[in-house]
Amino acid sequence: MCPNIIYKDVVKKFEGKETVEALKGVSFKIQQGELFCLLGPSGCGKTTLLRISAGLETLTSGQIFYGEKDITSIPPFRRNIGMVFQSFALYPHMNVFENVAYGLRIRKKPENVIKKKVTEIMELVGLPDVLRRNPSPTALSGGQQQRIAIARALVYDPKILLLDEPLASLDAKLRRYMRAEIRRIQKTTNITTIYVTHDQEEAMAIGDRLAIMNSGLVEQIGSSDQIYHYPDSMFVANFIGKMNFFPGTIQEVQGNNCKIKLDRNQKILDLFYKMNQKRKQEIRKGKKIVLGSRPEKLTVSTDPEGGLLPGQIRIIQNLGKVVRYEITPLWDSKSKLIEVDMEEKLSGAKEGDTVYINFDRKNTLLFSGKKAI
Amino acid sequence: MGIINNLKEFLLEQSKKDYTPYLILSVPLLFLVIFLVWPLGMSIGKAFVLRGNELIFDNFTFANFQRFFTSSMYQRSLRNSFVISFSVVFFTLLIGVPMGYFVARVEMPFKKLILSLGILPIITPAFVGAFSWVILLGKQGVVRYMANKVLGLIGLSLPPIYGLFGIIFTMTLTYLPFVFLLSHGAFKSANPLLEESAMIMGASQSRILRTITMPLILPSLGAASILVFIRAIGNFGIPAVLGGQQYVLPTLIYFRVNGFWDLNGASAIAILSVIIVVIALTIQKKVVSAREYETISTASSECKLHRHPFIKTIAIIYCSLVLLISLAPQITIITMSFFRQWIGFLPTGFTLENYKIIPQIASKAIKNSLFLATSASLLTALIGTLVAYITERRRPKGAILIDFTVMTPFVLPGIVVSVALLSAFSSGPINISGTFLILMISFIVRRTPYVFRSVAASLTQLDEALEESSTISGASWYYTFRKVTFPLILPGIIAGSILTFATLLQELSTSILLYSAKTQTLPIQIYNAVADGDFGVASSLSVLLLVTVFIAVYLMNLFVGDSASSGLKLG
Repeated sequence: MCPNIIYKDVVKKFEGKETVEALKGVSFKIQQGELFCLLGPSGCGKTTLLRISAGLETLTSGQIFYGEKDITSIPPFRRNIGMVFQSFALYPHMNVFENVAYGLRIRKKPENVIKKKVTEIMELVGLPDVLRRNPSPTALSGGQQQRIAIARALVYDPKILLLDEPLASLDAKLRRYMRAEIRRIQKTTNITTIYVTHDQEEAMAIGDRLAIMNSGLVEQIGSSDQIYHYPDSMFVANFIGKMNFFPGTIQEVQGNNCKIKLDRNQKILDLFYKMNQKRKQEIRKGKKIVLGSRPEKLTVSTDPEGGLLPGQIRIIQNLGKVVRYEITPLWDSKSKLIEVDMEEKLSGAKEGDTVYINFDRKNTLLFSGKKAI
Repeated sequence: MGIINNLKEFLLEQSKKDYTPYLILSVPLLFLVIFLVWPLGMSIGKAFVLRGNELIFDNFTFANFQRFFTSSMYQRSLRNSFVISFSVVFFTLLIGVPMGYFVARVEMPFKKLILSLGILPIITPAFVGAFSWVILLGKQGVVRYMANKVLGLIGLSLPPIYGLFGIIFTMTLTYLPFVFLLSHGAFKSANPLLEESAMIMGASQSRILRTITMPLILPSLGAASILVFIRAIGNFGIPAVLGGQQYVLPTLIYFRVNGFWDLNGASAIAILSVIIVVIALTIQKKVVSAREYETISTASSECKLHRHPFIKTIAIIYCSLVLLISLAPQITIITMSFFRQWIGFLPTGFTLENYKIIPQIASKAIKNSLFLATSASLLTALIGTLVAYITERRRPKGAILIDFTVMTPFVLPGIVVSVALLSAFSSGPINISGTFLILMISFIVRRTPYVFRSVAASLTQLDEALEESSTISGASWYYTFRKVTFPLILPGIIAGSILTFATLLQELSTSILLYSAKTQTLPIQIYNAVADGDFGVASSLSVLLLVTVFIAVYLMNLFVGDSASSGLKLG
């Protein structure tokens, strides 16, 4: 059984002309056999955390455990892990078989075992035929190289698999296909896996759970559903999918109902928030807040009677399943995105027309001080 | 009526066409054909007839080549050239690769300094290195004197540097920078991920070095080896100063021409040495081309440096030792230039006379050298640039042929070029032997590859769309070239030209056969001073030459950064 991974107060500083604090104290736990995604914008520290997990970087302070074992100061070649790099890092001077067999040769396996293992793993990654011709990996397509890199990392049964933006150098279509493949292979082997990416769609599609990182800290950890529907912060809300923000002030709280005045045009919204201990404290009359709405949770109409926030359509994009409106509210310079199903699109609306934005009473998020409440 | 109209239209059409490029671009090609292809052809022809015989089919003979089967001197020269060239390649690799690795991969101080000092031996004229080793390790050399005092206690003695050992020793030190710089570059630019991934799979440091790092830098080592080989087999100055009774092919050619005016025999020797170079090139291509990979990393990350104190200490000691030995010639000649003689432990008779006498004895040689190097560099820049432009941008049908032709002199020993030029232009309708013109032509032919490579590299990096957009906005070819292409490739031209200038100042192996009393250059005067045993003057003149070359290379570094070695590479 593959071990879990525990990070305790991991800090990494890069000393130099200017000392950069890449990780500012990260603590969390990855479960056994889990496919765990590290997600964040570039420079957030996700790659540093992965390289620290591999032992390629030493940490400034903190500890890392694989299961019970503290591996903080164990060098990479004694950690028994597998890693796939963004550029695949396949050896151009070896053929496919030798590339995949590399880790087995280091472990001094007999030739017949090597042969058997390589054949098996190539079947698992869906390339059994490549071994027959056994070319140089550079002669293969990006998708095939990707599979070989995965095979090479898995063939010697490592305890942990690390993937550093493994799909970033593939084209969009292949990327979508390969991420399903990676998930299939991971679930077959059931190896504890860390997957680093900056592509939120990819992370949500592939990960059992994800950690959203920002400037050296973990902002939120959870399943893609949790993170999408209940982001902890405005950063996460806007990084995972799109979110429209509207500043406002709480006017009145009655049970689960909450009247909020939009700062821009003084209109009053009547929204529903299921009260809990925290919300009871936070949601108070007169408090300045920010409302957050996903594009698909806003509606738009041409009828001034039904709408709250008037605005001008700047761009209409037909995205197939949905229609996306980019609307500039009359009192707000920052335009908002609204997506509606194709069947419900505004008939006859053109760019330049005035329309009215409406809120979903039950699905509008509330933020205060950039954090969700 | 119809025919006349058609003709009119045709003429109108033709007059609209822009012929300037064809006119301008044909000039350098014509130059190459007249002064490179034709002389080489003449030389090959002459190799198959006997001296004094006309170049016609009836006189065809292999007699000139038969000497290699009959004369023991020829056989020894051939063997010497082989032994020397391969040994020099072997020893430069043996010494240069670890140094390249240390500087690229070990954390240590003064890396920039080591790299800049490391290049000094190539920009020092090879024969200057040779004679300074005579001062140190010659019959009365200071280092030999001291070593023998110590060795004498146990009944041994160090032989003087003359002969094969001395030639190999001096050439190894002279050409070490090629291996050092190229392997340093390869170690430094290798994709660090390849090594990291091996480490993650559990490979030890030595296994990574053996199975990943070394196989991947093999192409660079191949390129460096062939560079060293070509220079070693073509070098005239070092065996001429240190060879004594041991001849090599270039000195044999010199002997043939200078002693017997036998261009036919010399041509045969030249052909043989070219064949050896071609064989070496073929071997290198065979070994390396199958292993040529795209290994330059796109990631900005660099390879991790060794920080272990033990490795650091070894690296620092090793690099300082190699540097000290390879810079001994420079230190020696600078010291020597201020003294009358250096026999025994210390030089004696401090004097400035060696310098004071320069204007009196060498002003003509200095003027000749500056004139020839400057004018030849400018013309080389022009021709090299235009040829590079033709092959890179116009891509005519024979582009590969042009590329091949212009690069030929790069692999030809310098003395072979002069034999070819003498074969074509020392008798008959055009006789220019002994003139500045023949020297200048030999210089241009020999150095065009430098500018050609340098400019071709800038052109490949230059997005063609820039020129196309100029054409589309209505500019003529000439206007585009002047306003867009030329300014953007100017750094490449300048770099190539300065490199040309610096190497032409120290050119000996071509000019040794072509000079006359009127056209004597500075390196030849130094060479003659060495031959006369006048080490003081030879040293002061060498220092002058060194300083000039050093300034030129320094200026080039200002223009193109510290990639001075790139211009020396063989494509």
